[in-house]
Amino acid sequence: MDREDLTPAAGSPAKPSGSFGRLSSGFLAVSLLSGAALVPHYDPAAALSSLESIASGIPLGAFLRGLHAWSSYGLLLALVVHAVEVARKRTEGQLAAGVWWRAVALLPLLVLALLGGFVLRGDAEARAAADVWRGMTSSIPGAGPPLAALLLGGPGSGLGAAALHHAGTFSILLVILTVEHARVVWPGTRPSVLAALASVGAAGLLTVPLGPPPPGHGVLLGPWPLLGLQGMLVDLPAAAGWIVPLAGVLLLGSLRGAAGPARTAALAALAALAAGWAAFTLRILVLAGH
Amino acid sequence: MSSRRDFLGEVWRWTGAALSVLGLGVVWKSLAAKGESREVDLPSDLVQRLSGDGGQGIAVGPLFLTGTPSAPKALSLECTHLGCRVAPLPSGAFACPCHGSRFDSEGRATSGPARRPLARAVLEKRGDRWIARI
Ligand code: FES
Repeated sequence: MDREDLTPAAGSPAKPSGSFGRLSSGFLAVSLLSGAALVPHYDPAAALSSLESIASGIPLGAFLRGLHAWSSYGLLLALVVHAVEVARKRTEGQLAAGVWWRAVALLPLLVLALLGGFVLRGDAEARAAADVWRGMTSSIPGAGPPLAALLLGGPGSGLGAAALHHAGTFSILLVILTVEHARVVWPGTRPSVLAALASVGAAGLLTVPLGPPPPGHGVLLGPWPLLGLQGMLVDLPAAAGWIVPLAGVLLLGSLRGAAGPARTAALAALAALAAGWAAFTLRILVLAGH
Repeated sequence: MSSRRDFLGEVWRWTGAALSVLGLGVVWKSLAAKGESREVDLPSDLVQRLSGDGGQGIAVGPLFLTGTPSAPKALSLECTHLGCRVAPLPSGAFACPCHGSRFDSEGRATSGPARRPLARAVLEKRGDRWIARI
């Protein structure tokens, strides 16, 4: 690693923030290990049937799938709380600019990985989620269609590209950027045990759905962290699907180096985005008849 | 010696420029490329099943067939909002499961975020087969 990257910015607080940062590393470890255990049994060419045979054909298969899903959701939750923690303690200045921006990139990368994981279910809801993802990405002017093809392959080309990016590209980038940011490979015993216990508890209590959605769903819901995005797409132009998350990432990134009214404005805009996200989450749940 | 280095420098510069132009060309071509039209082969037994009396149409892959066996019509089932597959309803209308758009039996958008009508496929008879182009 570049020596300069380890040098805290002048005037930044000396105490690192990060109990939830370490916890997210723990969740990442659980998610990667459970994902690696699933890979040999998953077939992108027969996604749904291979997941069904994981659930019923291999010992603890359904539990393992739940462990992978819940640890990944736990990772997202811990990462968001960590970002709030950093903003509150103003510790972003401890990182060099490049490392900070790459750490911020962890959030969209994780969301892409989660979306990819949902699409890999291969059932009707997953196919619809893939269509929405493709349509939304294609609405990016110029780069949209090639980017959609890069992430999901051509229309009707199967789940090969999504599987490759989920298990390969995104996972590798998440590991590299996490290690660069945390400066350790092993998150430590306590956060790892805590993340493992939380994931095991969730996987034991809550099943991850597969197959047709329960009757009465008027609209596609998709992965729960993205319900706000789904709600937004009902009322706002399709481009809002990438403009709003991009604005969130840029606002979070801009906290480093922002002081006084600029920082207050960035934080207020982030809070407004979060409130809008929550409102659109409610909107889609109501529309779906929940 | 120096002129040889100058020459090699020129070669590098021109090669770089040529590769950049080539790269830009490839990017431009991919961005300017129109969506390729697809052809769907319509099984003749399905076309023969069309009643033409306003009864139920038939879903064939990405298309919905209506009309008569001698003059079939085909609508694309791809939602014009973000591309989900719309579902035909018993009323003859179509509903999108993704964000709730609705289309009437002619494919016109009636509610929800979709604004454009469902695409109409161009049908062509080749021998005794019907081919739909979307
Ligand atoms: S894709 Fe059909 S309503 Fe959004």
